[in-house]
Amino acid sequence: MAPGIIYTSCVLGAIAIYVLLSPGRPALKPVGIVLGLGALGWVFKASIEAVADGPAGLGIPEGLTDDGPGVFFYVFSAIAIAAAVRMITHSRPVYAALYFVMVVLSSAALFLLLEAEFLAFALVIVYAGAILITYLFVLMLAQQAPQPGDETAQPDYDVFPREPAAAVTVGFVMLALLGDAIVQGVLFLDPPAEPTGPVVSENIERVGLALVGDFPVSLELAGVILLMAMYGAVVLARRQIEMSQGVPR
Amino acid sequence: MTNLTLSHFLLTSAVLFIIGLIGFVSRRNMIVMFLCTELMFQGAAIAMIAFGRYHLDISGQVFVIFILTVAAAEAALALGLVVLLFRYRPTLSAEAWSELGEP
Repeated sequence: MAPGIIYTSCVLGAIAIYVLLSPGRPALKPVGIVLGLGALGWVFKASIEAVADGPAGLGIPEGLTDDGPGVFFYVFSAIAIAAAVRMITHSRPVYAALYFVMVVLSSAALFLLLEAEFLAFALVIVYAGAILITYLFVLMLAQQAPQPGDETAQPDYDVFPREPAAAVTVGFVMLALLGDAIVQGVLFLDPPAEPTGPVVSENIERVGLALVGDFPVSLELAGVILLMAMYGAVVLARRQIEMSQGVPR
Repeated sequence: MTNLTLSHFLLTSAVLFIIGLIGFVSRRNMIVMFLCTELMFQGAAIAMIAFGRYHLDISGQVFVIFILTVAAAEAALALGLVVLLFRYRPTLSAEAWSELGEP
């Protein structure tokens, strides 16, 4: 893929995310959506054409037909990216959390494509099931009382982002460099490993054996981290503080 | 015929990571900022698994298990802190705490 495509689509995506982030001009939002989808579709089209020239593939069967592109990859990657953009641009935190669930589900689908079945299900259970529920509980605990007279009013800090132009510029300059490095850099890697024989064990069996066989110290350390996090959360939650009645700033 | 390469997955993970970065820098709600760090974890996890699949090495997946562990610990601690801070000042804005420092 030519570097020009990456740079141009980064510029388009940066404009799209800036327009979607900044409040107040609802007429420009469809322009941002069209620009963002156009940039994404352009990169997808270029990558479909680039793999037709045949760099080393991952050996992943590509989906519905024998000669089509990797339909599932493109669909789930597009869903993940669109939901991520919607998550950082939505002004209501509860919707941001729900869009993050969508990102988690579609990246679990990408894990399935990469033959990491155990982690795909663990991701759904741990992230979408446990962590996101914690976030939703805290969002409900820490809701501000609605203003009298206007229940749908939102606090300023949710509506107005902080320095969106600077954030988008920094982010997409990094993304352009990263994308260029990825596209050029994978050419210098060793060719992908070929499976040496028939796969004899399940994915979950291999993950479990590697976890306790190859990384036992890391496993113990993960247990210590979880224990310390539990202690920390208990200590933080036990402290008694009177709800302040002050004016929110 | 196989069509998906390593760079497909790496580009997806880079885009997710950068979107999380932009959200972390530009959003002002503390809970949404922590959600954006989780989005960055997602991007990193996709890259790990893609490299593990490329080299047919299972340790990429083992590393993602540790990412999940750290994400769970971080969510518990960060959300506990957010609830604590919310009791001091009833706002979720990160800027309410911008003058923290030595007394």
